[in-house]
Amino acid sequence: MIEVQRVSKTYARGVYALRDLSLHIGKGDFVFLTGPSGAGKSTLLRLLLRRDVPSEGQLIVGGRNLAELTPRQVQAYRRSIGFVFQDFKLLQNKTLLENVAFVPRVLGIGASQQQRRTFQVLKWVGLQHRMSAYPRELSGGEQQRVAIARAIVNDPLIILADEPTGNLDPDLSLEIMNLFREINARGTTVVVATHDRELIRRVGRRSLTLDHGEIVERT
Amino acid sequence: MHALRYFFSEAAASLMRGPLATALAIVTIATGLFVLGVFLVVNANFQRVIDRWSRSAELSVYLHDNVTPEQLTAIDELTGSSGLAAHREYVSKEQALARFKTDFPDLAGTAGTLENNPFPASFDVQLKPDLRESTAAVDGLVSALTSMAGVADVRYDREWLTRLNTLVRTGRIGATGIVLLLAVAAAMTVGNVVRLTAAARRDEIEIMQLVGAPFAYVRGPFVAEGILQGGIGAIVALIALTVAFYFVRTKFDTLTFLALPMAVILLFGGILLGCLGGYVVARRVR
Repeated sequence: MIEVQRVSKTYARGVYALRDLSLHIGKGDFVFLTGPSGAGKSTLLRLLLRRDVPSEGQLIVGGRNLAELTPRQVQAYRRSIGFVFQDFKLLQNKTLLENVAFVPRVLGIGASQQQRRTFQVLKWVGLQHRMSAYPRELSGGEQQRVAIARAIVNDPLIILADEPTGNLDPDLSLEIMNLFREINARGTTVVVATHDRELIRRVGRRSLTLDHGEIVERT
Repeated sequence: MHALRYFFSEAAASLMRGPLATALAIVTIATGLFVLGVFLVVNANFQRVIDRWSRSAELSVYLHDNVTPEQLTAIDELTGSSGLAAHREYVSKEQALARFKTDFPDLAGTAGTLENNPFPASFDVQLKPDLRESTAAVDGLVSALTSMAGVADVRYDREWLTRLNTLVRTGRIGATGIVLLLAVAAAMTVGNVVRLTAAARRDEIEIMQLVGAPFAYVRGPFVAEGILQGGIGAIVALIALTVAFYFVRTKFDTLTFLALPMAVILLFGGILLGCLGGYVVARRVR
């Protein structure tokens, strides 16, 4: 599913965010990317989301070389990706329902299908009773559940999550991870970047430890 | 259809979020179109008057009182065979007096006290519109008519009509310049308002980009916003123009309003201006 072939990413003054990185993530895998701040976890996710391209090497996802995609192909590619961020990135002037429905809406999906999918995912994350609430009225855990609902509403092939539990306490973090496990159980590839080693231990999945842009440990 | 509904609902919501900026853009467009509308109304009325004057005796061939029927026929044949006349009409002395009384009712009494009718009979010749500019041909006809027996004088209105036309044309160029400037100002105002909207919606735009929304969905609402601003501005301008027109018409009752096609052009002009302003901003959003 995801092939990272000798990928390097350098920023200004030749600073390496990723250095000669190679890894393989199969279809339906659940992989943690871990390591200290500045290790390159978020950079790798940025590349996978095609918000940036590698300075060297190739990033192949679903058989497509991400660096060679045209703007329209990037759009099509992103439709197969769900993303979750530490800061949730919810739209503050929209209700939960509108936040989640926003994705199918801007992808041109018909109103009835939009509604059906949105209800389904909000029910799945356990927030169907708070659909008319605004993000500011929710706890951090609830906001992250909305972000997860939004990430899966389009039924993506891959979920990318960047420090999704960074703002949550350990119990809520595990709750969020359980949602990711359930998503993964349905066949979706899940890649989660986190520096929380204890959480990784509790979830018990494959992890890749990065440091200074290189993989230093594979478990 | 779904896309259009999305564009316009987002655009309408966005306009509501910044009512002051929206009002500013609408007023700017309305001002530009109002000036354009005034210019069109004035121009249409001027043109109508000039056309009417042009249609009336452009070439008047005044006749001696003792003109013979043979001389009349010769004069008529010459104007007819010149190929320049669209219409020619013989006006007798009595008709000329009656026309004077109609045109100048205040002086009608004075004319009635005269012993003899002082107005000469004439041939009023209306030139073909496409041949009005053929100066040499018209001058040739005037000169031929002047030398004919029975002709007292030939009066040709071309020169002052030409001067009037030049004046109107110059005014038209000046007004076009002003309208163009206002149109650019209006499009730029719409662009700036839409840019403010884009800044306010940057979170939404980021989400749209991340989920792979088509460019049309990312950019469409901005273009729709420009269209709404332009359309509303045009409607405001048309309403203001109508009110101003009816106010002015109480003093000049022969004035006519914009023809329907021109009003429609004005409306679509506003929509186009707004669309342009919105599109300029939208195409920068990737």
